[in-house]
Amino acid sequence: MHFVPGTMLQSDPSQSLQPLYAGNISIWRHMSEALQQSLYRVLSLLISILPGILAFLVAVAVLTLIGAALSVLLRRGLAAMKFDDRLARHRGTAEWAPATSPTALIARASFWACVLLGLIIGVSAFDASYATSAALPSSLLPYLTRVVGAAFLLIAGTLIARYLERSVLIGAVNVQLQYARLLSLGVKWLLLVLTGAMALDHLQIGGVVVELAFGILFGGIVLTLALAVGLGSRHLVSRSLESHSERSGTHGVAVPATPASGQGDSVKHF
Amino acid sequence: MATADPTPDPIAPSAHPGSGLLVVLSAMPQIQLECVLGRLSVSFPTERLLIATPDALAADSFPALRFVAAPAAIPSWTFTAADFANAYQLAQKNEAGAILMLGPESSSLGSTAFPDLANAVLTTPTDLAVPCYDLPPHTSLINSAILYPLTRALFASDVRFPLAVDLGLSMRMAERLSRAALRIAATNQEEALLWPVNEAAIAGFNVDQFEVGARIQPQPAGTDLNTMLPLVAGSLFSDIDAKAAFWQRFRMSRPASSPTLKPVPLPHPLSTEGAADIVSRVRTFQLAYTNLQEVWRLVLPPNSLLGLKRLSQTDAGAFRMPESLWARIVFDFLLAFRLRTISRGHLLGALIPLYLGWVASHMNITASGIGAEQHIEAVAAAFETDRTYLVSRWRWPDRFNP
Repeated sequence: MHFVPGTMLQSDPSQSLQPLYAGNISIWRHMSEALQQSLYRVLSLLISILPGILAFLVAVAVLTLIGAALSVLLRRGLAAMKFDDRLARHRGTAEWAPATSPTALIARASFWACVLLGLIIGVSAFDASYATSAALPSSLLPYLTRVVGAAFLLIAGTLIARYLERSVLIGAVNVQLQYARLLSLGVKWLLLVLTGAMALDHLQIGGVVVELAFGILFGGIVLTLALAVGLGSRHLVSRSLESHSERSGTHGVAVPATPASGQGDSVKHF
Repeated sequence: MATADPTPDPIAPSAHPGSGLLVVLSAMPQIQLECVLGRLSVSFPTERLLIATPDALAADSFPALRFVAAPAAIPSWTFTAADFANAYQLAQKNEAGAILMLGPESSSLGSTAFPDLANAVLTTPTDLAVPCYDLPPHTSLINSAILYPLTRALFASDVRFPLAVDLGLSMRMAERLSRAALRIAATNQEEALLWPVNEAAIAGFNVDQFEVGARIQPQPAGTDLNTMLPLVAGSLFSDIDAKAAFWQRFRMSRPASSPTLKPVPLPHPLSTEGAADIVSRVRTFQLAYTNLQEVWRLVLPPNSLLGLKRLSQTDAGAFRMPESLWARIVFDFLLAFRLRTISRGHLLGALIPLYLGWVASHMNITASGIGAEQHIEAVAAAFETDRTYLVSRWRWPDRFNP
């Protein structure tokens, strides 16, 4: 520990500092070279994909503007032609809500078609730029499409889950099932878990872990529902079923009418 | 029994073109068919009668009557759109002057029903002759709760049974209904029902109603309330939606006033079974209140939800749904149907427990000594009173609605 400073003090300072300084210069030079090269690579990567990104943004912006203009023109033109009234006369019944009149639908469809076209053109411009850029990781664009696909899966799955949840809830209430809420929540979460697993699988995240977790969760929800309905609520189920069978008799849509029946004894809905 | 084709010979046009009566019969058992034909033979000159029936009949049963084969139709508890289209085609082909349509179980009608309905369209300027049945209490409740009040409030028509299964039609009324039926067929709405009273109202045709006494009401076979209520209510809501431009212009001919509900002595007190029925329906309503609030909240304004909350805390014996609340509920569901606030299937499914609540309330009210007809008239008057609310929200759906 003491030997090195002693040696350094005894020797000529200019001779002893020279190798250390040269070594520092070498380290700093290597570091700065590495940083410069990294910066150069990143900048050249950005420069190589910048035209593609700009082309994508310009394509989307221009086509969106065109779509908006086309939508306004169509809306005004069809309104001037009284397109909705003519269609209603031709088709007989007006099965359109005000927010979804044929004119509004056509205008909206044209707008979104233009936006979609802009997206396609933009992606293809980006793709062309990317193809020429060797520095870009080769899996970036395919992965982006997977992300978009997973997003669509999530949206569709959520919508379907909400729709089915409401269907099950209303149906179960109308047959007087006391556990209607539990059933509807079970159906909703079954679908959400399924959707989540599908999205992760589509993104190739998790691999076997996702499959395993999905299997456990899905099976768990089904088992919970089965236990709740079959064991925990067996009295409720039997009561509900009895009540349902009684009501199907008293609701009377299938039972022949008895005009002379007493008050309160016979309810006929038709 | 030996049967033969009902059209042994091709039917020649009537001897008095434009003055004959085409009687269109629904499919019915042989005994009922013979009963109806026997009464028709007595009620009308047989040379002016032309019978269209899908049923086969013994060749020598009614030699004086002329028959024509009605196209085979799916047996139904009411007339379908195809029935109206076929009736008009037959009437046109045979140069009939008017049409009498008789639904299932029409043999249970009183003796004056056939001549009343037929003569109205044959000899008077009436275009649509509609029967008014004398039904026992707690019968045809969907009609009393929804169909009659809505038709009365929106189309200014006091026809008590808008979905009657016996009708007298003039030729121009039949033609109009046939056109409507063809439009329905073109849009593939096979389950949609035709609403003759609404059609007559917007066409400015004459509608007359006749007291025809008691009748056995045909019931839809093989389906339950959860299927039938959305079907019937959805069909009426669609028709109202399609005719919005017309009914918004109608003005009520008489000021709407709610009749005072006065108790009268009960002929039959509520039985134990009837009381259990009420309890069951109130429980259904309460179960729905705890579970379907998130759906009702999308459709009903806070004031109606508050009314439902109070009702959900009421005992079955004291369960009374105010007429104004029921009218507001039906109008709000009609608006949500038009705006597609939620899926129409969900919407009409969510109406069922509310309707069962109304049924329980109606049974309680009638058990308390108030006549069923009196209560139904009060409900219809409440619909008329609240009509302005519907028209206003129909035109400006986004306006603030407490």
